[in-house]
Amino acid sequence: MNKRREEFSDLIVKIVFVAVVLLIWESVARANLFGSRSRLIFPTIGEIGRAFVTNLTIGYAGSSFLIYIANSLKLLIIGLLIGVVLAFVFSGLSMVSRYFYSIYNLVVSVFDLLPGVALLPVVIIIFGVTPGVIVFLVVHAVIWPMSRSVLDGFMAVPRIYVEAGLNMGLSRGRLLFGVYIPAAMSYILSGLKVGWARAWRGLLSAEMIFGLANSLGIGLYINQMRTNLKNAEMYATLIVIVLIGVVVQYGIFAPIEKCTVKKWGMSK
Amino acid sequence: MKKFRKKCVAAVVMCCALLSMGLTGCAGDKNQTAGQPGNGKEAEVNIAYQYGLAYAPLIIAKEQGLIEKAYEDATGQKVNVTWNQMSSGSDINTAFVSGSINVGFMGVAPAITGVANDVGYKIFTNLSGQEHALMTNSEDLNTLSDLVGSDSQIALVNIGSIQHIILGMALDHAGYDAHSLDSNIVVMKHPDGMTALESGSVPCHLSTNPYIYKEMENSQLHEIEGISDVWSVDSSFIVGIASEDLEQSDPELYSAVCEAIEEAINYINDNPEEAAEITCEFNGNTKEDEIKYLQKGNYSVDTKGIFSLADFMSSNGFIDKKFESYKDLVFDNVTGD
Amino acid sequence: MENTDNILEIKHLTKVYQDETDTGADPILADLNLKVGRKEFLSVLGPSGCGKTTMLRCIAGFETYNGEILVDGVSAAKPGTDRIMVFQDFNQIFPWQTVEKNIQYPLRLQGIKDKEQLQAVSDEYLKKVNLDGVQKKYPHQLSGGMKQRVAIARALAQKPKIILMDEPFAALDAMTRNRLQVELLNISSQEDCTFIFITHNIQEAIVLGDRIIVMSKKGEIKVDEKNGLKKPITPATPGYGEMWQRFHDALEV
Repeated sequence: MNKRREEFSDLIVKIVFVAVVLLIWESVARANLFGSRSRLIFPTIGEIGRAFVTNLTIGYAGSSFLIYIANSLKLLIIGLLIGVVLAFVFSGLSMVSRYFYSIYNLVVSVFDLLPGVALLPVVIIIFGVTPGVIVFLVVHAVIWPMSRSVLDGFMAVPRIYVEAGLNMGLSRGRLLFGVYIPAAMSYILSGLKVGWARAWRGLLSAEMIFGLANSLGIGLYINQMRTNLKNAEMYATLIVIVLIGVVVQYGIFAPIEKCTVKKWGMSK
Repeated sequence: MKKFRKKCVAAVVMCCALLSMGLTGCAGDKNQTAGQPGNGKEAEVNIAYQYGLAYAPLIIAKEQGLIEKAYEDATGQKVNVTWNQMSSGSDINTAFVSGSINVGFMGVAPAITGVANDVGYKIFTNLSGQEHALMTNSEDLNTLSDLVGSDSQIALVNIGSIQHIILGMALDHAGYDAHSLDSNIVVMKHPDGMTALESGSVPCHLSTNPYIYKEMENSQLHEIEGISDVWSVDSSFIVGIASEDLEQSDPELYSAVCEAIEEAINYINDNPEEAAEITCEFNGNTKEDEIKYLQKGNYSVDTKGIFSLADFMSSNGFIDKKFESYKDLVFDNVTGD
Repeated sequence: MENTDNILEIKHLTKVYQDETDTGADPILADLNLKVGRKEFLSVLGPSGCGKTTMLRCIAGFETYNGEILVDGVSAAKPGTDRIMVFQDFNQIFPWQTVEKNIQYPLRLQGIKDKEQLQAVSDEYLKKVNLDGVQKKYPHQLSGGMKQRVAIARALAQKPKIILMDEPFAALDAMTRNRLQVELLNISSQEDCTFIFITHNIQEAIVLGDRIIVMSKKGEIKVDEKNGLKKPITPATPGYGEMWQRFHDALEV
């Protein structure tokens, strides 16, 4: 009862915070503090709202912003899937062979330190200028933190679960799915979260630096709005980026956590 | 309930703190740019420019202190000139919006975009015109028609750049939609574009001085016709923009900048060898090459073709605003069309 | 071969842990020989470090060793479902499975796919360990004693030939411990299964064991005797005190 009240008052406070921010923003926007530049620095909330709609309906160069979002997400999902699968395969192999583990551990430690954007020129030489570059950078962004978490998670699996599993007659391969993965689930989820966050950032920065007009993407869209000094549209785009982040956090990760580690009493 | 009120207050305080931080940031920049000598401070001008041969007069003006000289001759006072090298017209536009610069040099297309969006500047001089060509490594590509509808990629310096608009004009001239090759564009800086073209990882590059001459010497590459018909070396390529604030509130400084640019341009036209001596190091060329490249360019204070360019941009959706006259784009002292 | 009714035979079992830094480390088990009869409940007493847990792990197949361990005359070097281990640690049942799924999972691995049959087996064994009504709970919702009951039920349900118990009640409070001893005694009398039960606790060894051995350093078996007392055994059972004292003295040395 008390807790619910607490949560409710927290919610109200957050709403008040947002409302005050918007109010101050709007008054600054209307105060025209920077003359003709005001419209570009502080577009009014109405303008940003309209820009939001314009983005979705008209978009840029004949393509709605939705197409840009869809395309970015497509590349992101392909990259995430490849990255996660590879992370599991390599981490799984590391559990089987000690030599593989020490080599892979080294590889992860080295490549984890390399920002994807710094790899861009090298990647372009390999892939040419294709959406493959973006996919590669997403894979790069997700595979190392994911592998680090999965390896740490696998190493931290209590030996007693492994022995109980062996005792039940689980083979090496089935031990991975039957024991290692569920036992390391909290590590895996935190790896996924870090991987997703890095991939999302990596995707946007790659798209912004390396604008592939034939591969529409959110980063490219921001650049185009910036180039055309459509700042209200740019702010509206930033809001969409935040919204996608929120949807993934609360629409995907939170439910997964709720029906795994939280339910199992394993959350850290 | 008391606790709750406390929380609300905390939220409001947070908001105010955040916003005041943002505002002082912008306002601080504004103070910096107001380059008036009025309150005993030294006059100052913050200039943004870019890299390459098309910007050669600026290297002369910077190295020879032409702005400082012109201002001192006119007022007897010193001026503090800051030169900021940036990598694209969009970057300079963004810097202008933030209020951290008051003079900039960029391609004529982003300049028109800025004027159209009330950034608060106008064109105060032309700087240079350069040859442009669409170079290719593919024997199958000879005209723009070969490109339209294909998936051949075109390396180009930026979306919304003057090169992008020129491509649109050439397409329009050839009877196609101005945006019909937009999806073929790959954004690359000129050196990367040239490397990609020569290595074969991109079939086309919309090239300019000096890369265009290096590419033309390469027998593997040839030109796709159509660009020079709509945009020649005489047309405005790089222009200078200055804040309306500078022009109105400090006309002496404004004139000093105009004069210095004109002097630098004349210097290049009259003494290409001495000019090349100064600029070759900055552009990374040998002195002999630099002289050749400088003479290929067209350095002039008079604009050419910018009103028709602005007209083309608004009728093809690159900008929303429609300009009534040439004078909407430039300050009163500028001549040309 | 004099006694054909031995289910387990340990011959010349020697174990040296490999990760000892000094070469020529002392073996933890040296030339251990032991036979365990079918349906026997063997209590193993011994001081810490005598190698009793190591012996159990060798039997379970978790360790490599020199010598031979035969179950029904067949070498048992790898883990197998004919020898199921029940550990001391409460967290041996899988936290990501409900109580009943924990019991059903190894059965599914053995090829039982029929849901009703699985349900019937898990219900039956949960009843045997006096755990009814927690089928759908997750392990983190259970007490330590309940978790150990689930672990015992999971072991029994797999119908192993031998259940290996490594001080399963050592971390429980005295009350729960006594209750579980009684329950285990009842279960062992009903099940067609051999038990090897390691403990520090002399009372526990006497109450549960048909036969009690005392191990000392390097797995040397100092005492090996049949428990002749009449079950159920309490401290009031005639002969209990003397027996307790004998094992106590054997452990003291």
